[in-house]
Amino acid sequence: MTDQECPFGHGVSRRGLLGRALGTAAGAASVSALAFVGGAAHADETSTPPSASPGAFESTTPDRASYPFQGPHQQGIITDKQRHAAFVSLDVTATTRGDLQDLLRTITAQARSLAAGGTPQNAGLAQTDPDNGIVGPTVAPDGLTVTLGVGASLFDSRFGLAKQKPARLTRMEAFPNDALDASRCHGDLMLQLCANNTDTVLHALRQITRVTRGAMQIRWRQDGFQSPPRPSGTPRNLLGFKDGTANPAATDASLMDQLVWTKGGGAEPAWAEGGSYQAVRVIRMLVEFWDRVSLLEQERMFGRAKDTGAPLSGDREFDTPVYDQYGDSISYSAHIRLANPRTPSTDDQRPFRRSFNYDNGVDPNGNLDMGHLFVAFNQDLERQFVTVQKRLIDEPLVDYVSPIGGGYFFALPGVQGSSDWLGRGMFA
Amino acid sequence: MTGSQSRAGRPARGGPLLTGRRIGAAGIVLVLAAALIAFGRPHHSSSAPAAAVAPAHSDRAVPGVPVEVGADVCGAGWNGGKAGEQTFALWDNSSVPVEVYLQNVDTGKVYFDAEGIGVDVTRSFNAVIGPGHYRLYCNPSDGDGLPGPTVDVTGAAPSTTTQAMAPVTNGDLLGPIAAYHAWVTSRFPMLLRQVRALDVDLRRGDTTAAKRDWLAGHVTYETMGAAYDAFGDDNDAINAMPATGIDPATDPDLHGFHKVEAQLWGGADPASIVPAAGQLVKAVSKLRTDFKNERLNTIDIGLRSHEILENAVQFVLNGTDDAGSGTSLATLDANLTGTLAAMKPIRPLLSTRDADLAETDRWIKRSQRLVRSYDHHGIWTPLDALSTRQREALNATISQTTELLSRVATITEPRGAAAR
Repeated sequence: MTDQECPFGHGVSRRGLLGRALGTAAGAASVSALAFVGGAAHADETSTPPSASPGAFESTTPDRASYPFQGPHQQGIITDKQRHAAFVSLDVTATTRGDLQDLLRTITAQARSLAAGGTPQNAGLAQTDPDNGIVGPTVAPDGLTVTLGVGASLFDSRFGLAKQKPARLTRMEAFPNDALDASRCHGDLMLQLCANNTDTVLHALRQITRVTRGAMQIRWRQDGFQSPPRPSGTPRNLLGFKDGTANPAATDASLMDQLVWTKGGGAEPAWAEGGSYQAVRVIRMLVEFWDRVSLLEQERMFGRAKDTGAPLSGDREFDTPVYDQYGDSISYSAHIRLANPRTPSTDDQRPFRRSFNYDNGVDPNGNLDMGHLFVAFNQDLERQFVTVQKRLIDEPLVDYVSPIGGGYFFALPGVQGSSDWLGRGMFA
Repeated sequence: MTGSQSRAGRPARGGPLLTGRRIGAAGIVLVLAAALIAFGRPHHSSSAPAAAVAPAHSDRAVPGVPVEVGADVCGAGWNGGKAGEQTFALWDNSSVPVEVYLQNVDTGKVYFDAEGIGVDVTRSFNAVIGPGHYRLYCNPSDGDGLPGPTVDVTGAAPSTTTQAMAPVTNGDLLGPIAAYHAWVTSRFPMLLRQVRALDVDLRRGDTTAAKRDWLAGHVTYETMGAAYDAFGDDNDAINAMPATGIDPATDPDLHGFHKVEAQLWGGADPASIVPAAGQLVKAVSKLRTDFKNERLNTIDIGLRSHEILENAVQFVLNGTDDAGSGTSLATLDANLTGTLAAMKPIRPLLSTRDADLAETDRWIKRSQRLVRSYDHHGIWTPLDALSTRQREALNATISQTTELLSRVATITEPRGAAAR
């Protein structure tokens, strides 16, 4: 969004700027395998050929042109964040189990073709153009990932799925500092669309909703964007702080196995293998108020320096925070200290964050409506996101942020094979 | 929405007599006039003797097999070739714009309709075709149809081909449009009776009867296919929508059903509503007279089949046209009735062309069932009383039905001369 309006937007100047940004970003990335840095290198993806080795993606490479659709996990979970995203909560309006299966097959087919790209065929005389054409006559994958999750309400009595509900999937509770708007919460499905450009996100959204009109309807929607690194390292949130510095490394497969991927069997239904619990929280930031708070107080609340992102106990962004016993440099109520105490007993509580910024408009009082589209993937919602969230109750930051919507979803396991479809395991 | 759109009630798609889609046809006429003036070419602009000879001047930058089309030569440069995807760079080497079909000679069905290729313009069209006998068929804008030579397409059949269809012509639609005109005409006596009853009720001070007769009259009118300015200025006097941000009860520029609705449901003294009701009766009488002489275009019947519901999605489902009665769902039900009425005369054309016709009918029935479930003996549930889930089900059902009805407009769009 801001991308296109910026004087350094698409065109000549951008590449020059980003070339320089890339040089500095690379240095930061070498300190830690941070997922976010990839966003820095916003090269012209249409000229980037699809990668032949999807697993070997380094965080400092340019935007990926495409992601493979099939695999044990869906894309868009530990995939490096693209610059543009839409989070679309939907309710299923299909009324039978068979129609729900058709819906999931249709979404899968559409997602599969969008992720691969291609040139839509002539539609013939009997129908309008099946492709809306907003990305031109040939659809480039443009780094699109389509990630489908299911909410607890899908497992009510409508479709006979109650026994298949993922064990930790619940309706999102209201935490003490929340100000939830019921019209922006929950949903039977969560469709997460991420791509290198907004038009690709909207193309996918329109294509998918068009072929599923009668079977599902949008309940609420929040678009988001990822800022480029300013000037390097982890991109910033709209409070001006680098956000996600301490995120677990997506490149560490065994860590992802412990923190992100749900295991089938045991408490979980077998079909849940390879899925992940997704917490989505639309967190309004009161940016005008925030800007009227002193830098000192802001940094104290986060526990990090605003300019470098370094913990107040260190010099550089990726220095490990030192939590001294008196709370002298990083106070006991600092956000980073509460969120991640960095003790052996809290290590497995870390969620994997994949958050975006959002920008919605203006309030009646003239304040800007913008904030944080918090997204976290978890192997176990209760053990991770919920536990961390409860530690953050009444942290000083709550005066400046206000969770207004969101929900819990279970991102389905990946599609494996050309005849497989998202959610098929639920019906086994 | 602009002021003029909201004032018009049913926003015009390009003015009273030209919908957006009709403008396309008018545009072609203008292009033709411009071409004749600018070039003044003689009709014989080509001497290509046979299909096998590639045209000399087509724009090589346009993808596809260069093929010459126009008023005198049709298909020069295309020799058939292999089954599968074929792309044509159609170059109009004549003095008039031309419409070109790719036609299977055995079935008569058409794979693409390249409409309005301008003079000396090269445009790319493609289709996936199986083995068989094909030809290009040219419809120059000022002359008779010109079939190109038949060519053989050989090789294995591709797994899927472009869905071909026998085009619907102007002639096919003359009967249906007359039948539809007669149907709309037949609705006027009832409509007039209902709005006169409304007028009488108000003069008597009987608001209960007035509300009943208002709803009856409004529902009748909503079956008559007034979508997107089909009745032009007459509709503004009868069914203009309330403007955003203005009290419809006192808006001096608002007339018709919604003015009466706002006053009646707003609790106005019945006597004070009589002028608005009298104006409504007059407007309906005037439309009845005007409609007798109105010549509907053949394109209208398919457009209305689609656009009555498109209009309902935009204005009824959003609650825009509700001025207080809370009867949006009754309006939707009437719109579904009107859709079926518009489709009725073209069903024979659709049944052989629309593979989704049965599906479309299923969704129309499903929409009717759902909408009518909110009719409690003439008392309709207001839209804002629906729960989120109920609202989602309504939106899904009406939107899916509209999605399917878009095919009706596409299929029955009159095309060229008869390519039979």
